Amino acid sequence: MTIEELKAYGADTDAGLQRCMNNENFYLRLVKMIPGDDNFRKLKEALEGGNLDAAFEAAHALKGSSGNLALTPIYAPVNEMTDLLRARTQTDYTEGLKAVLDARDRLQAICGE
Amino acid sequence: MPEKQTPFRPSVEKRRILLIDDEVINQEILQMMLADTYEVLPALTGKEALEILHEQYETLNLVLLDLNLPDKHGLEVLWEIRNDSRYARIPVIVMTADSDAEVECLTLGAIDFIPKPYPRQEVVLARVRRTIELSEDRDILHWTERDRLTGLYNKDFFCRYAVQLDARHRDYPTDAILLNVNHFHMINERYGRKAGDELLREIGQKALEYVEEAGGITCRSEADTFLIYCPSRENYSSLLEKVSVPMPGSGNGQGENRVRIRMGVYAGVDKALDVERRFDRAKIAADTVKGNFTKAIGIYDDSMHETELMQEQLIEDFQAALREKQFEVFFQPKFDVRGEEPKLCSAEALVRWRHPKLGMVSPGIFIPLFENNGLIFRLDSYVWAEAAGKIREWKEKHSIALPVSVNVSRVDLYEPKLIEMMQEICFKSGIGNEELLLEITESAYTGDSGQIVEKVGKLREIGFRIEMDDFGSGYSSLNMLSTLPIDALKLDMYFIRNAFKEKQDTRLLEMMIRLAETFRVPVIAEGVETAEQAAALKSMGCDIIQGYYFSRPLPGADFESFMLEHNPNH
Repeated sequence: MTIEELKAYGADTDAGLQRCMNNENFYLRLVKMIPGDDNFRKLKEALEGGNLDAAFEAAHALKGSSGNLALTPIYAPVNEMTDLLRARTQTDYTEGLKAVLDARDRLQAICGE
Repeated sequence: MPEKQTPFRPSVEKRRILLIDDEVINQEILQMMLADTYEVLPALTGKEALEILHEQYETLNLVLLDLNLPDKHGLEVLWEIRNDSRYARIPVIVMTADSDAEVECLTLGAIDFIPKPYPRQEVVLARVRRTIELSEDRDILHWTERDRLTGLYNKDFFCRYAVQLDARHRDYPTDAILLNVNHFHMINERYGRKAGDELLREIGQKALEYVEEAGGITCRSEADTFLIYCPSRENYSSLLEKVSVPMPGSGNGQGENRVRIRMGVYAGVDKALDVERRFDRAKIAADTVKGNFTKAIGIYDDSMHETELMQEQLIEDFQAALREKQFEVFFQPKFDVRGEEPKLCSAEALVRWRHPKLGMVSPGIFIPLFENNGLIFRLDSYVWAEAAGKIREWKEKHSIALPVSVNVSRVDLYEPKLIEMMQEICFKSGIGNEELLLEITESAYTGDSGQIVEKVGKLREIGFRIEMDDFGSGYSSLNMLSTLPIDALKLDMYFIRNAFKEKQDTRLLEMMIRLAETFRVPVIAEGVETAEQAAALKSMGCDIIQGYYFSRPLPGADFESFMLEHNPNH
């Protein structure tokens, strides 16, 4: 995985790298931890089970780490969801969840190479 | 040798940060940002965080707190930190992306925020550094302005805050109050220093509760003295009640078992006076009830004010009085009554102040005053020199060698130059040390006796003779008395007055004389007024008598004539 690939993926690598003191290896190491984050599973299960409290916790956590690494494709949909979930809004989260999980899968694919 | 050389200076020691965040990525990024400058202790859960706090709070300088934790909400952790007095000094910075939570965090005592996603490293470091600096400064201020034992202000800061209160409340009537524990040294001796300290802490706590309720400020000014500066009120008996906490080990502290505190109130203070002066007045008021078992509150009034003004004037006039020889030395003869006929054997030098405006001032007024402010040594030295001069003069003019006794205040005994001064005076006058008899009051030996006994012993070694004055008044133990370096005992005037009152009862006096005899030194009685008294004292075994029966104290010239009439050499 390279910075270029992440940039192509849609990450704001400049911001992410700056937060990691421009240490590329450190940044990439942290990014690689994202696809395995258990909060994706928790978010999916909570939404499927209609547990909005648990869904908020998971979304909020994902928002924090993806935000710090500037992984925009994950951060953007998860941020929207977090705001809705904070108010426990009863709505259809399927599309949002799909966007989040797709973004994770694409990141996994880059990481796997 | 430690494996790694660790710095041992507070300024270079790495500050320690407790980082509470359950997200590994956030942890990693922040640790990376902070690691060069700080030592970071990571905690992934609230429980873990509180464990680290519990074990290491003394060395923690900052807490970085994420609000979303798996086990408990960050706000709960914040609350627990803020409400535990051990942790309360540690500043907390909250990390959150949620601006709604910020207000609540501030209310709960968070000091700052770090937003998410994190800002750049410089911003994080700057916030962390400033927060730690501020809290350390606040800490230093706390320890500077506080009394360690009670946590109350110390006197310096108390006075500063009093001035600030005055500036904001110019026309507001305020009172200066002084509290002092009666016989605190006895409490320390009896129950131990620890119990004494605990007692002071409790009194301080009560004083603090009082001002928190009634307004005002309080401090511990010295050992067992507390000051309160507060809005005027009619009555302070409830305050006295409140601060009179139970004595150590007395359980519920009912009735007799409460600590006895005396209180001085200077009501409606004159704000033109220095704060310290206001509390001097409160102290004067408190001192008026010292040793009074029925009254514990003294109120500063006009008569005390008069006394204060008078004392100020006396202190102010002291220099001129010495210079202009306003202090006159009188001599009262002492007679040896052991033989057939009483024989003049010595005289006591007594000082009088002929003040140009106030007339004759009683030594009862100015001696305690000068003892309190350190002028006594200069006055006493003057009297010693005058007396020594007279001894020499009488020898030269009349070939009469009459020793004179002079008073040595207990305050003089702490003067480092005392011995040197005494020797110099005798040397300059050309008299022997043994011709100056030193009267030292018995109570001088109590209290810090070791140092005093040593000093008196030295004076005696170089020839001075020591007369213990006011014998029987000082509550000395017999055991201690028997080891003292003394050459004569002078009975306390009280025993003589009491024995020859209307209803004569000399039993106590006889007992004192018998006691004195066991020390195998001459016994002197003073204040003897009649022939009957003199005869009775003689029969009881008294050796030397002084008093109006023989003569009142006489000015130098008059005494000279008296001495020639009773020439001891004939």
